[in-house]
Amino acid sequence: MTEIAIIGAAAIPCGRHQSRDEEEIQTLEHEVLAGVAIDAVADAGIDKSAIGAMVLNYPRAYTKQLYFGTFMAAQLRLECDGVVMEVVGNGMTGGLALEQAAQQIRGGRVEVALALGVNFETAVSATVHMNRSMRATGDVDFHSSFGFTPISWYAMDATRYMHDHGVGRAEIAQVAVKNRHHACLNPLAQFRKPITLEEVLDQRPIVEPLGLFEVPPRSDGAACLVLSSVDFARTLGRPYVKLRGSGFHHEGAHQISERPNRMTDFNAARRAAAIAFAEAEVEPADIDLAEVYAPCTIVEVLVSEALGLVADGQGASACAAGETSLGGRIPICTSGGLLSRGHPPFITPLYSFVEMAEQLRHRAGRRQVDGAALGVTTCELGNYNAALVHVFEAMQ
Amino acid sequence: MTLRIIRIPRRRAYPPRISAFTQPFWHELEKGRFTTTQCPNCGDIAFPPKQHCPACWHRPVGWIELSGHGSLYSRTTIHAAPGRFAEEAPYAVCIIDLAEKVRIATRLVGDPAPALDCAMELVVLQYEDGPLFGACSAGSAA
Repeated sequence: MTEIAIIGAAAIPCGRHQSRDEEEIQTLEHEVLAGVAIDAVADAGIDKSAIGAMVLNYPRAYTKQLYFGTFMAAQLRLECDGVVMEVVGNGMTGGLALEQAAQQIRGGRVEVALALGVNFETAVSATVHMNRSMRATGDVDFHSSFGFTPISWYAMDATRYMHDHGVGRAEIAQVAVKNRHHACLNPLAQFRKPITLEEVLDQRPIVEPLGLFEVPPRSDGAACLVLSSVDFARTLGRPYVKLRGSGFHHEGAHQISERPNRMTDFNAARRAAAIAFAEAEVEPADIDLAEVYAPCTIVEVLVSEALGLVADGQGASACAAGETSLGGRIPICTSGGLLSRGHPPFITPLYSFVEMAEQLRHRAGRRQVDGAALGVTTCELGNYNAALVHVFEAMQ
Repeated sequence: MTLRIIRIPRRRAYPPRISAFTQPFWHELEKGRFTTTQCPNCGDIAFPPKQHCPACWHRPVGWIELSGHGSLYSRTTIHAAPGRFAEEAPYAVCIIDLAEKVRIATRLVGDPAPALDCAMELVVLQYEDGPLFGACSAGSAA
């Protein structure tokens, strides 16, 4: 099978970019994304004519330009023999974009494909946005009527995990402090001022036991990855990142399993990781860094355990001990993660891939993981009811 | 078992849709009975009720009444609520493992922070415009 490489990447800093309707001068998604796509292709050092496919995220409901993908093809005047399509899968959307772009190359239809997208939503208040998002992360008739919010499920993971393992909120909250430290070193990060554990614990409650700094911010963003066959990447004579393995699993449940199970095990992540590691022929112990999809502190704890990067029940204590910090045994979320780098949901996984592309091409500056050779990324939907795991390798 | 009925002096913030199939669930709930579907082929109990068995895909299924007893698997109190629920915030929600080995998610009424794994019972929350269900610590006044 054709092997896949990431040969270029670009993104704008996560933050507030979306205009309010009443503003005279608007920031338009297609203008921003066109710039990012051209930057990413320049980073790859290839000509536009090599690109044969574009896979974008399905836009947010707030995006006025519909048929956004085909509109972007016109903006970039890009003729494609592969697909121009939009994909969606809640928080996993950016990961599906990468997968579908890779499939175009694996199928032999194109040699280079773009996985790209823009997610603008911060001009819509959280309370209004949640009127919509609560309908995604729950059964509209049997969950939403009670007022469950997307992150309320993660909060219940935290409550259960603390009970099962005798872990306190403060230990889990160390994830927020650690990720903020990483974000301070990342020019793409939304929040770059250091925070202390006391400041994290003092924030107003959002979904107990989690406070404001333990849950994701609202973010806009735009990002683009340039993918090619490894054979094509080799001709460029510069470092690239090889996609060494991938795994997907959906546990056939929506937020909770109808059958009582250990919800905090994140079974879909365990299964997807096992598939990805087997395809990559690596063990968790071989991994040098991880960029995981973790909207809340507790989610990073649970997914780091599910991936086998830390022992079960030890995810919080490993973070508190510095094992998952830059310079530690297995740095996690060197970008700052969703909590501090930012979380534009439909393209958040693209930001994970951008970070992996920087780290594995050894251009991450002050947050570079020394000698980074193998990295793992995750993305998910629901309460990790489905997970997509990728293993990447540095090719110098 | 007949569930305790608690009157809530407001309308439901986001009422469930009712189909011809799920209508019996809501009708029985108003009478204090918590019902769902069970597969006559493999015995699997589903919740929410489904027209098919999610385990073996057998159709049709039958209705059964559940005990309304269970244990608290987890809970949270939601402070940052969707706009529709703003007037009710903060409010507590929970995951209950019912005695029949079915997991459900619902409103937590009464004590907002019972110990995990403690005994819980389902209640009917009778709003002005129709019912929802909820859960509270077993034997508590809620």
